Amino acid sequence: MALPKKLKTNINISPRPPQPQYDSGYNGLTTPNRRRELSELITEDGTYLPKSILHADMDRGMLDFVKEKLDTSTSGKKIPVIDRILTLQRWGEFSQSWSFSTEDKNVSLPFIVVVRQPQVVYGTNPSLQYTIPDRKQFHFAKVPTWDGNRKGVDIYSIPQPIPVDITYDVKIICNRMRELNQFNKIVMQKFSSKQAYTFVKGHYIPIVSESISDESVIDTEDRRYYQQNYSFQLQGFLIDEDEFEVKPAINRSLLFFDTNTSHKKTGNGSPSIVDQSQINIYNKNKFRRKLDFGTDDTTSTITYAYNANVNLVRSDNVSSINYKINGTPTEGKVQVEIGDVLVVTIVKSGSGTASVTLEEFIYS
Amino acid sequence: MAEQKKIPITRISRFFASEDFSLEQEMGMEWLHGDMNFTLVLFSVDREKSDVDDVYGEAGPEEIRYKAPVEFNAYVSIAEPKNSSYGSGLVNQMEPGNMTVSVYMKHLKELNIDVSYGDYIGYAETEDRMRYYVVTNDGRVTSDLAHTIGGYKPFYRTITCSYVSPDEFKGI
Repeated sequence: MALPKKLKTNINISPRPPQPQYDSGYNGLTTPNRRRELSELITEDGTYLPKSILHADMDRGMLDFVKEKLDTSTSGKKIPVIDRILTLQRWGEFSQSWSFSTEDKNVSLPFIVVVRQPQVVYGTNPSLQYTIPDRKQFHFAKVPTWDGNRKGVDIYSIPQPIPVDITYDVKIICNRMRELNQFNKIVMQKFSSKQAYTFVKGHYIPIVSESISDESVIDTEDRRYYQQNYSFQLQGFLIDEDEFEVKPAINRSLLFFDTNTSHKKTGNGSPSIVDQSQINIYNKNKFRRKLDFGTDDTTSTITYAYNANVNLVRSDNVSSINYKINGTPTEGKVQVEIGDVLVVTIVKSGSGTASVTLEEFIYS
Repeated sequence: MAEQKKIPITRISRFFASEDFSLEQEMGMEWLHGDMNFTLVLFSVDREKSDVDDVYGEAGPEEIRYKAPVEFNAYVSIAEPKNSSYGSGLVNQMEPGNMTVSVYMKHLKELNIDVSYGDYIGYAETEDRMRYYVVTNDGRVTSDLAHTIGGYKPFYRTITCSYVSPDEFKGI
């Protein structure tokens, strides 16, 4: 069966060559300039950690966006924006609009107001889905420390931000069609690609245009006015500094190791001279010699330059072993002297190689 | 500052002139203030000094600043208490109904006060129980015939208020 067309049979996993959009060249290993710049915006004028972004910050971000990016003027006069999210407190509502109110304390038209839907739901920001359970902490920065004696670092870690969607209704209330047109033009230009961004504490947060509806009161009997509602969804996220963790990292490593002190040259546990002879030396004058026999070898010859008592301590693939000193077979104790030739002959217990380990106790 | 232009009111002057209007008003005020003597306290919110939130313009009960409380007389009508609940019949709550206050405009002018949307009004229900209400309709527009004497000139305002919990406003 043929492979599916979408299946990639050759994936290049090596770092990509420099890309033209990065001045310094993006080699896939270093942090790109723009990413570094964005990171610096987040921690600017503060600690090494990002600042909290909570509901009020996002509301402020939306208000600033409407005030600055959707700023509308007609006939040289700016349409005022009520610079607060209106809430239940009645006097607060009044106090925000008094500067452009009539004799009857009604708000003068035209004006723009931002009304937030009270409910804040789990977000649809695609970069922040529910991917990490249990508020797991992630490394954010290593910060150098100095306590006057030691250099070290603190590890700053934060959990994954929580995505939230907040819906805002931006309403324009006015008496003239040209004011509607002007505001609509600005909104359309700003949201020509469906979304725009507000800037909250160093983070770019997307705002998506959802719908436009008309709520104008055009009645024969009552006062007429235009009212249009632009519904926007802010796809934000919550970062709470109470959840941040700062932990000291390793600032000094101590390596402990232990040794056999019986072979110290001096001090406690070192060999001592008592009556011109050394004591406290274990395995003194002992020497081990390993004899390897090839597949076809069964004999090994050793010429001694010292006096020694020879014992067999280990053998492999050997069923029996014979010793000859200077051509004379030896039974029992094997004792060689200077100049002696020891011939070791083995009988293998199976085919292949074999080995014998002899322990020689040297004496004078 | 230029003086505000004044327009003489001469309608129904054959039957009812400004002297009659003043007399009727004085008599009504004497009855309301002298005989009825319903006393209320106005807590006019100081919107500049109140410690408000930057984003929402909200203030906690301890953060609301109000101008010196002023006692005034008005005709008071309080609707019967409302028995309701917060959640589909659960978490029952019983609280006073809305309060309707009818006050002479001249009286407000004499006291040099104005009642605005969102101001708080205290009403001493008993010797040791003051309840607070928030102005939901300051009755500033008195263009209807009912607020005039025979269509001559408006003379009182009807202010409607709803009850506020101590969580919103604690008064004194």
